[in-house]
Parts: sequence; C-alpha cells; structure tokens
Amino acid sequence: MLWVDKYRPKTLDNVLVHQDVAQNLKKLVTEQDCPHLLFYGPSGSGKKTLIMAVIRQMFGPSAEKVKVENKTWKVEAGSRTIDIELTTLSSTNHVELNPSDAGFQDRYIVQEIIKEMAKNRPIDTKGKKGYKVLVLNEVDKLSREAQHSLRRTMEKYSAYCRLILCCNSSSKVTEAIRSRCLNVRINAPTEEQIVNVLEFIGKKEGLKIPSGFTARIAEKSNRSLRRAILSFETCRVQQYPFTSNQSIPPMDWEEYISEIASDIMKEQSPKRLYQVRLKLYELLVNCIPPEIVLKRLLYELLKKLDIELKHEVCHWAAYYEHRMRLGQKAIFHIEGTVSGEKNRALVKLRQKAWL
Amino acid sequence: MSQSDIRKWFMKSHDKGKGNGNTDSKPAKPAQPAQCATEKQPSQAKAAQASQENSGRRKTSKYFSTDKPKEEKESVEVRAKRKNQKDHDESVKPLPAKKIRKVDTNSDDDFILPSSKNSDDATPRKKLKGGSGRGIVQKPLKVDESDEDDLEDKETPVKSSGRGRGGRGASAAPAGGRGRGAGRGGFMNFGERKDPPNKGQKEVPEGASDCLAGLTFVISGTLDSLEREEAEDLIKRHGGRVTGSVSKKTNYLLCDEDIGGNKSSKAKELGTAFLTEDGLFDMIRASNHAKAPAQESKKSVDNAVDRLCTEKKIRRQKIAVAAPCKSAANKGMTSGASAARQSGQSTQHSALTWTEKYRPKVPGDIIGNQSLVKQLHDWLVNWHEQFLDTGSKKKGKKANDSGAKKAVLLSGTPGIGKTTSAKLVSQMLGFQAVEVNASDTRGKADAKIQKGIGGSNANSIKEFVNNEALNINMDRSKHPKTVLIMDEVDGMSAGDRGGIADLISSIKISKVPIICICNDRYSQKLKSLVNYCLLLSFRKPTKQQMAKRLMEVAKAEGLQVNEIALEELAERVNGDMRMALNQLQYMSLSMSVIKYDDVRQRLLSSGKDEDISPFTAVDKLFGFNSGKLRMDERIDLSMSDPDLVPLLIQENYINYRPSSVSKDDNGIKRLSLIARAAESIGDGDIFNVQIRKYRQWQLSQSGSLSSCIIPASLLHGQRETLEQGERNYNRFGGWLGKNSTLGKNRRLLEDLHVHLLASRESNSDRETLRVEYNTLLLKRLTEPLRVLPKDEAVQEVVEFMNTYSISQDDFDTIVEISKFKGRPNPMDGVQSTVKAALTRAYKEGCKTRLVRAADLITLPGIKKAPKKRIAAILEPVEDGLGENNDDPVEESEEESSDAEDIKDSAVGEKLQQELQSLSSKGVQVQVDLKGSGNSSAKKTPAARGKDGSGSAAQKKGARGSGSGTKRKRWGK
Repeated sequence: MLWVDKYRPKTLDNVLVHQDVAQNLKKLVTEQDCPHLLFYGPSGSGKKTLIMAVIRQMFGPSAEKVKVENKTWKVEAGSRTIDIELTTLSSTNHVELNPSDAGFQDRYIVQEIIKEMAKNRPIDTKGKKGYKVLVLNEVDKLSREAQHSLRRTMEKYSAYCRLILCCNSSSKVTEAIRSRCLNVRINAPTEEQIVNVLEFIGKKEGLKIPSGFTARIAEKSNRSLRRAILSFETCRVQQYPFTSNQSIPPMDWEEYISEIASDIMKEQSPKRLYQVRLKLYELLVNCIPPEIVLKRLLYELLKKLDIELKHEVCHWAAYYEHRMRLGQKAIFHIEGTVSGEKNRALVKLRQKAWL
Repeated sequence: MSQSDIRKWFMKSHDKGKGNGNTDSKPAKPAQPAQCATEKQPSQAKAAQASQENSGRRKTSKYFSTDKPKEEKESVEVRAKRKNQKDHDESVKPLPAKKIRKVDTNSDDDFILPSSKNSDDATPRKKLKGGSGRGIVQKPLKVDESDEDDLEDKETPVKSSGRGRGGRGASAAPAGGRGRGAGRGGFMNFGERKDPPNKGQKEVPEGASDCLAGLTFVISGTLDSLEREEAEDLIKRHGGRVTGSVSKKTNYLLCDEDIGGNKSSKAKELGTAFLTEDGLFDMIRASNHAKAPAQESKKSVDNAVDRLCTEKKIRRQKIAVAAPCKSAANKGMTSGASAARQSGQSTQHSALTWTEKYRPKVPGDIIGNQSLVKQLHDWLVNWHEQFLDTGSKKKGKKANDSGAKKAVLLSGTPGIGKTTSAKLVSQMLGFQAVEVNASDTRGKADAKIQKGIGGSNANSIKEFVNNEALNINMDRSKHPKTVLIMDEVDGMSAGDRGGIADLISSIKISKVPIICICNDRYSQKLKSLVNYCLLLSFRKPTKQQMAKRLMEVAKAEGLQVNEIALEELAERVNGDMRMALNQLQYMSLSMSVIKYDDVRQRLLSSGKDEDISPFTAVDKLFGFNSGKLRMDERIDLSMSDPDLVPLLIQENYINYRPSSVSKDDNGIKRLSLIARAAESIGDGDIFNVQIRKYRQWQLSQSGSLSSCIIPASLLHGQRETLEQGERNYNRFGGWLGKNSTLGKNRRLLEDLHVHLLASRESNSDRETLRVEYNTLLLKRLTEPLRVLPKDEAVQEVVEFMNTYSISQDDFDTIVEISKFKGRPNPMDGVQSTVKAALTRAYKEGCKTRLVRAADLITLPGIKKAPKKRIAAILEPVEDGLGENNDDPVEESEEESSDAEDIKDSAVGEKLQQELQSLSSKGVQVQVDLKGSGNSSAKKTPAARGKDGSGSAAQKKGARGSGSGTKRKRWGK
C-alpha cells in the first residue's frame, strides 16, 4: 500500500496536521447537529482526510465500508429525458460524488441526487442520526446553474441531508452557497508540519533518513502534504538507503512542461509554436488538466522571464485561464497564451536590442 | 439608376451632342468604355459623324430595350437592331466599332456591372464616358488616357507608367542579388517556395487586356516581386495563357533566375525564350503605347474587315442552323413552328435560349465522351437483332449472352449532354424517341398511354412497351422504330413506390430499347437497376473542349471573347456546358466583348453552386487573394461546415505566411498576427460554447467570424511547411483525433480510478490520481521489474496490484498515460521474459482475487436507482452486526469465496468460515449481486436481505452465483 494511504489518519483524533480544526469539527459533530460544511483550501492540505474522518465520527466505522457504483440517473428536462451516468462512492450513510464530471448537465445531478436522498431517509431505529451525508467534490467546478439549483435544494432538504462540499478555491463558489455553509478553511501545511509527518512515517517504516532530506522534500512539495509523502516514497523506491544529496524526482509532466517553457524561451517562431502545440497536445491527451498545464507553464516561464515582463505575462495567463473556463477546447486558449507570450517576449527582446 | 434619370440624361446629352459633336470630334473617338478596349477606333471624321447618328438612334433603342421589353414585334434584340442598322449603314462606312460601342454604352447604363475596375466611380464617370463616346466631351481627354482610364482610375497613365518604370529601374540591381540568394534556398528545399525577395515592392503594370493574347507562359522558380499565383493572374488578365510544363507551344518561360530545374532545361532544349518578371512588366506596359496611333489605324481596318466577315459568317450559319430545324420540323409541332418563325426572319432567335439553339445536331457535335456515344450507337443498332429476332430464330442462344443488356444507363453530372446524346443517337438511327421525364410525370394521373404517362408511371410504361411491341410486330416497315428514354430515373422512385422495380420488369419484357438517364449512378435507389443496364458513365468535358465549343457559339453570336476567358468560364461552371452557355448568353445581353476579368467577376458571385469541401473552403479563405473576397462569401465559406472549418483553420493558421507582412520584419509582425489570430480563435471557441450550450444560435455568424474569418484574413498568404517532409497541404484538424484519444485515456483513467476507490485504500479524485499519484504508481509498478530479480519483482508487483485492485488493463493505462513523445518509454529496460512472467503471475493471482469494482458493469435495461434505494433501507440492519469486522478478515474471505468454486477438499472448512462471517459478508455479497443485476440473482434483494442470518446453503447459493458473475466479468 502506498504510504499516503497507509498513514492517512482515520479519525479526527489521529490527525497530525490540522489538529485544531479537527478538534473543532469533533465538537461540532458530537455535540450538536452538524450544519452544511464547505471545506476549501489548496490541494494536498488534507480536506479529504478530514471529511472522511468527520463522517467516521458521525457514523462510526461503517462509514468506511464504501462501495463504488456507476449510477445512471434519468432526468426529465423539459421535453426530453437525459441519461446521466456518474460514479458514486457510497456507504450506508453517505454518498460521495463528483458532480462536475457530468459536464454541463451537473445541474440535474445535483438536484436529482439530493431529492433522491431525501426520499430515502434512513430509518431511525437505534437512535441513529436521521440524515445522510452527501459529499460533493470539486464544487468550484460546478457550473453556475448547478450552483444556483443547489442553493434551493440545500435549504429545502436540510432536514434529511447534510452536504459536505469540498473545493480548492472558495472564490469560484457562489456567495449564496458559501453563506449557507459553515466554511472551513484548510490551510496548506507548513514545511515544518510536513517534515514532522515525513519523520513520523520514516520512523514507522523504520527508515534511516539523513538530516535535511525531509526538509528538502518538504520544500519541493510546494506545501502539499500529499505530494511530499508521494515523492518521499518515490525516493524510497528509486534509491535506498537515502543519501542526503539524493535528487528528488519531479513529476513526469512537470518535467515536460519545463521543457516546453524552455522551448518557448529559446526561439520565437511559428515553427516553434507548432512544435509547442504538439507537446501541449501530448500533455492534454495524457489527461493533465489544462488549468494545471497553464499554471505550471506560467510558473516555469516566470522563472525565465525578466522582471518587467513577468507582470504582463501573469496578466495574460489569467486572462486566458478565465477564457478557458468559458470555452471548451482548451488547447485553443493555451495556444493563445503561448503565442501571445512568445510575441511579447519577442517584442521585449527587440526593444532591448534596440536600446 | 432610375428610369427618369436615364431619360433626363439622354435628353441633355443629346442636346449637347448637337452643340458639341462637330467641334470636338477628335478626342471623342478614343474615349471608349472599358469593354471596348480591344476595339480599334474607326477613322476620325467618320467617327464624329457616326457618333452623332448613334446618339440619336441610341435613344430609341434605349427605350425599346428598357421601356418596352414586352412588345413582340419590336422586341427584336439589340443585335437584331444592329443588323438592320448595319444593312442601312453599310454602304456608308465600316460600322462595327461604333455598333459595338453603342451596345456597350448601352450595357453600361442598363446594368451596372460589378466590375472591379470602375466600381468605385461607376455612375458619374460612366456618364461622362458615355457622353464622350457620342462625341460630347466636356473635358479634353488625352489620347492615351482613353485606353487607360478604365484600368487606372486614379492616376493619369503617363504619370503612372513613368513612375512604374523609374521604380523598377532603381530597384533592379539590388533585387537581382537578393533574388538569387533566395532562389538557391528554394531549390534546396524542394516543395517549399521562398517568398519573392522584393515582394510588394514593385508596381504591377496594367496594360491592354489583350496584349499577351496568344502567348503561352510557363512560370518557374521564384519571381522577383510577384507570388506565383499573382503572376498567373496577371498573365491571364492580359489574355495570356499559363501552362504547367514547357512544350513546343510555350512562348516564354517566366523566371527570374535560372535555377536549372526541369522546366528550364526543357525550355533550353526547345529554344523557348526566357523572360524575367521585369520583361513581362515591360511587355504589358508596352502594350499601352503600342495602342497609340501607329498600330491603331491599321488594326482598326483589319478589325472592320474581320467584323464584316464574321457577320457574314453568322448569317450563313444561321441559315444552316435553320435548315436542320426545318428538316426536323415534321417531328414535332413546336419545332416546326419555331423553324417557320426562324425561316421567316433569320434574326428571330430571342425565342430560343442558346442551350436549345446550339444543342448538338449530330452526334459528332457532342463534346467529349465520343467513345460512349459510339457505344450507345452500336448498342442501339444491334438491339433489334439481338433481342427481337432471337424470339423467332435462335431462341435461347443469344438470350444467354451475358454481355448484352436490354437497357442502357447513362450517368453523369448535369449539363454534359446525356439527354442530348441519347436523343441524337436515336434520331440518327431513325428511332422515334419517346422521352419519359420521370420528374415531370410523377404523381400525374394522365391517361395518355402513348406518351407513357399514366396513373402509375411504371404501369403505363409497361403498357407502352407492350403496345409498341405490338406495333412493331404487326407491321414494322410502316411504323418507325421506337426507343424509350427514361430521363432522371434517380428522381423517380420518390413519388411512386416500386418505380425502379417496375422499370426493371419492363426492361425484362420490353420490346423496345430503353435508355435510362441518371445523375448519380451510385445512388442507393438505382442499385438494383444497375444490374440490368449497360452502364455508360459520361465524364465532364475538359475545359479546352468546352472553350472550343463556346468559342464557336460566341463567334456565331457575334461575341468577341478570347479563349482564356472562355476557358475560365468553362472552369468556373465545373464542366456544365448548359450552364456555361446560359452564362454566356446572359453576359452577351450586356456586352459584346467579354474578357477574362468579366468572366471572373460574374462567376465569382453567380458561379455554379457546388458542394465546397471544408478543405477547399479553408484553401480559399487562406488563399493569397482571399483579401478580395466579399464578406458574405467568406461567411459562406466558413459556414460550409461550421464545425470542421474552424478546426482546420486552427490547425493550419500557423503555417501561413501572411502576404500583408513583408519579409524584413523578422517575424515580429507575423507572430503578433498569429497571436491576434489565436486570440480570435479562442473567442470563436467561447462563441461556440454559447451556441451549443445555451443554444444562442444567433451568434453563429459572430462565431464563424471570429473562429474563421478573422484568423484567415489576418494570416492569408503563402503556406509553408513547418516540419521536415510535411506535405504542403492543409492538415486535417488535429483536435478531433487528440480529443478522442483524450476521451479514451480519460475513460481508462476513470476505470483505474474506480478500481482504486473500490480497493478502499484510497479516495483521491481522478485528477489527483493523474497528476500526483501516477508517477509513484508507475515507479512502484515498473521499478521492481527493472531492478529486482525476476521472481521477486513479479511477486512484489502483483502484490501491489492486488492491494489496489489494479488490473492488468490498468497497468497498461498507467504506462500509456505516462508516455510523452520524445521521452523514454517507462517500460523500456524491462525484459520481455519479466513481462511475460508478470502476466502469468497476474493471471494466476486472478483466480484467487476479487476485483471489487464489480458494480461498475451496468447491464442494459436495469434501473440502478430503485435497487439502490432498497439496499439503502435494508443495509443498516446488517451493518450493525458487521461493524466489528476488519478489512483483513474480509480480504481473506473474499479470496476463499472464489476458491470455493474449485471444490477442493477444504470446502467444509470454508463453509464454516463463511458461516462465521456471514454477517460481514452480507454487505459484500449484496453489493456484488446488485451489480450483476437480474442476470444471476435468483432472489430479490429484499429476500436476500431478510435471511441475512439464514441457512448456509442458501447463502452459498447466493455467493456462488455472485462469484460466477464476478469471474465472467473478469474474463471480459
């Protein structure tokens, strides 16, 4: 089993990183009826772990007996019926799903599943909680319509069904939904915290860790605990015993993007643009989400650009990211960014040469 | 221009003419309208006189042609009028030029033609010109200008030519040097043409439209300032002809440097003259001056003589035309009537369209497809011997002849003479042709059996066939033989069902030959018919053939057209002779001299509608002269396939070197154009989302504007290749392919994701899985195989796979999505024996394994939701019991559950084990069964739920079926 999963804390008491949040949540769940929750924070900070722990706290270990199901919903939308298929992860007391997978039909999913859950209210025989929990992932990727329809159903069925929403950025969640939830911000763990966790794992695994090694991993991990643990284990697979100057392998796609970035900086010509396009396609085809590609590309470019251009490039990258969300064919927009940046870089270079 | 305007103008100009005509006649003569450029001026004194006469006469003709078009007696066309006029004037002087001019000015006023040259000042200037043509000149015009002013509106010609020459002289020396350098590059890199070194630097001269007439050019290599397409256009515009390869007929090889290619060596061999671009320009410019007095008088005389000859010829021809009509008159009443009319007045041709008038009269006249006509002829000749006589003489023997078909099927695109040849051949052989036009008769309940039209089309045909057969049998000598022409058979079966089937049965019993005609032989409707017919596929005539024929027609009609123009016409109509004739006739109404440009102009807009493939559309949008396309044309092009065209544009826009950017910009400008185009394409995508997602179809024009038209207009120009060995054509949009690969990979990844989730070890989402987990997963799966000894490695990997429920397909998925082009394959370095061992070990393990993603298989026709509901209600009961069970225990049981099917000695023990853990299994079993749905579950979920603590036997049954399905799924 991977260490990430192996050492994932199962209960609120066991968490290593966000102990204060965990304690608060515990109180919230045990003492009173819990409100809707909205967890937000950067990836790898432990939202999911906390959510699972909260659910376990609510329903006991049975919450861990999950099953995966590919469910089909038949939705009456105006004159036609739409079949929507979605993978759900459910136990007796909770259902977890990723409504944004349904694309622009996510609205129906959100409405339908909440209604359905409300209809099947668990029988309350042994003094158990009379509600189910619905975990919605990636709420920030829900379309605006879905968020609007969520708003109403959330209130209407709140007696039967608690929502736990999970997202990276709360700014993409509408105000209305945010105000209906208890917002829980999960910070990215600090590097010391990460180091602590890594040391803990190392001790459990019985590894010899040279000093400073975990700090380096933590530094490289961009404050994502998951990444830190994963790359820790990658290092372990690659070379053991550790040496203090062991290289920490980057993710495969990150390497590729930095290659692209240096391509872009090396030469600005239509030919190069064409090659970059092919490489971008390669990334996208390998299921790397376009937003991440764009972000990473910007990050790599910023390392190489001179100071006055950085600002501008950031601006345009943001501009194209926004447009990418509006559009459909991500490559078009990334290409727009790339060509725009190439152009700007070139203009700058010319100006320099002129001076 | 409104009618009253014309009148007013006429009155005025007429008055003025009276006053001015005699005083200032000299400048009047040369001021001819644009279409007259080839026409030479008559001598001056006469012109003055004539112009006055003309203006008077013109007025009347004007009124006739515009005001009273319906009056039968006088509605003799302009040409007819001309003829009368001519009879009347002939003795006085050679008139042709004047006549032409008259018609031309006429046309200028009647139809404001969309001609590029004077579109900007069409009305006011034309009035002026017309005025001057009649000898009314307010402005003293220079002799030179008269020829030039229509071509170069803005500048006086003297100036322009002078400037042009100066510019060229100055740039000649440096241009040569640079040009050579570029040329060498072009030679090295075959297939990629370099930019002209002095692109856009020189002024392209405008000369007389026929100055290159009769000359044939071949273009080779890179020219100094013109793109090849531009050069081609220039030559064609001036009456020259451009061919692809050098032959004896080639007059000039146009090239700026001798790059020693195939063409130049051939040219040297044949002694073809070499011509530089400057030389070409000189030739064109020279024509302007050549037109000056020296040649003028001589030419005009020549021309006049020519005209006379042609006029006479026309008359002769017309009589000749009338003759066959007369001979054919007894065939049908209508043709008889028209023949009568024609013989009465030879100029009475307005009743007939040219397509009818110049329909080939003998099979030899048919353009192209002569071998097919011959085949048809032979078939028809032999028909009676082959099929009728067999009945009496050699029965059965010839009937078996597989080569002989009783009917013939002519196919081909419209307007290439299928019907005509069918008719002509049968007429020539003395058959009486009965034409059944399927599209006309459909649905008509006409009882006339003779014509083969009846309540049911096919039925009456049958009758007809039988009747004729009777006739023939009774007295063949008296009655003419008959042939049935079934026109448009592919349009037949729509209205009446079984039409084709009936036609086939008619063919079987027919006693007359049947000729079927269709457009598309491969049509689904005709599939059965094809087997019974001799297939003759007509091909489109070549443009040379068509041009030749059109030339004859034009001559017969007294039109002045050069061959290039006609070839252009032939090309534009896409092989449709009928359309070409119609277009020609239409143009003849407004002008009597038709030039290359006129044809281009007219057919650019009213060209034959054809299906534009997205590729052609993109070619056109990016073409070097797409800047001249009108907006609606561009929209049409981009709408030819609103989904595919933007993709093609997006795929290829980087490859174009915009013609608006000259070379020395070092790419900055080009890149900024590309950036703009890219942004616009992005806009297009956003539009597309609005259209598709929110059904805002009113945005579709804006969408095509920003996704196709803006990028194309920014970047249109020369295409260049970006990759070695790439062909210089527009690539197919890569997005579609990539998107489907993406979809596939995503699906695979989703499978993997679900398996991971089902293993209950991980609950990450898909994205994290790919972005963060994947690297480590890959390492864990491949690294041991590479480093560790075989058995150990396999052991470890299989174990890992089992923990996470990773199937072998998932293994492949992980490897697949980690592959990047230009990176080493992650599976490199793994020996094939190890791979094989892994597969074996995995298969082995698979027997004792439970993949928990069983629920994922959706069986058709099962509603998951309700079942889920039942499960949700029932599960808590069991859950309470199973709470104290841990994962490891479950794991072992799962394995045993499968093993029990093998029925080994440990059955009893396992049963016991099972009984112990019944409660915990309850959940699991139910999950699986639910997934397998009603295919295996004998009991309803409710029942199963109830006997959660029931007998072992029952339990076992449930389990057995459950695992059975499991295995099945796994095999899948």
